[in-house]
Amino acid sequence: MTPLDGYLTISVALFCIGLYGLVQRRSLIAMLIALELMLAAASLNVVALTTLTGGARQVGVGHGSSVGQVVALILIGVAAAEAAIALSLFVAIQRYASTINVEDLSELKG
Amino acid sequence: MNWGGVVFGVSGAVALVGAVLAVGLRNIFHNILGFALALVGVAGLFLSLGSDFLAAVLILVYVGALAIAMVYAVMLSYPLDTRPEPRSVPKVLGAAALAMVVAAALYAIVQGAHFPPPSGAREVSAQWVGFRLLRDYVLAFELISVLLVVAMIGAVMVARKARMPKEPPKPTPRMIG
Repeated sequence: MTPLDGYLTISVALFCIGLYGLVQRRSLIAMLIALELMLAAASLNVVALTTLTGGARQVGVGHGSSVGQVVALILIGVAAAEAAIALSLFVAIQRYASTINVEDLSELKG
Repeated sequence: MNWGGVVFGVSGAVALVGAVLAVGLRNIFHNILGFALALVGVAGLFLSLGSDFLAAVLILVYVGALAIAMVYAVMLSYPLDTRPEPRSVPKVLGAAALAMVVAAALYAIVQGAHFPPPSGAREVSAQWVGFRLLRDYVLAFELISVLLVVAMIGAVMVARKARMPKEPPKPTPRMIG
């Protein structure tokens, strides 16, 4: 098992644990936590692949192994923005409907 | 003894244990603590890949800011003293089956893929990341800053509008007179 396989296997495991949580949990905050785990797994994958293989250079991105870290930084920024919006929406939903359980939030009319 | 391998093994174990705690426990506060633990593990994995700057940013943003924001959201929206509902067994089994199928598919793809060996200079230091980020990818850098400003203003607007009552309060006679 090469080092790259180890990183990719951990990334697959993290992603699927996050997927399980996203499907199984009922609280919106718990689903957001699971979603963030999946995003972290994706950025781990990108960094491992660009650091341990020559793939980025081969497909013409051309900037060697640091491009994966740049992509991961941008992913972290997007994830932070998304989580800020999501958490404020959860607070608003809680004030409107008095619950953040997705099984109780079944009406579409606003 | 190979220290890179030790860091990789410990960090991977911490990440997986934290992820299991983050989705498996019933108490939402324990979930957030598990999430922070999982992200510390992922930061350790980044360290073992040599990307120390990224590990620092990950801990600052996720563990330092995002977990705290989640705790605030829980305090504002979550009745911690209510007993959790019992798990529905079909839902747990369905979710586990879905995760297993996706894991098997992804693992098969990983095992079947051929990756080219590393080529060129190894550019993993923070110096290289800053060079790429501020020269070659400066447009993405600026767009992220705009996105963060928009998200911040939007979050304030959404949370503030919800605080207003749904209909304006009726004026009292004293106000009219």
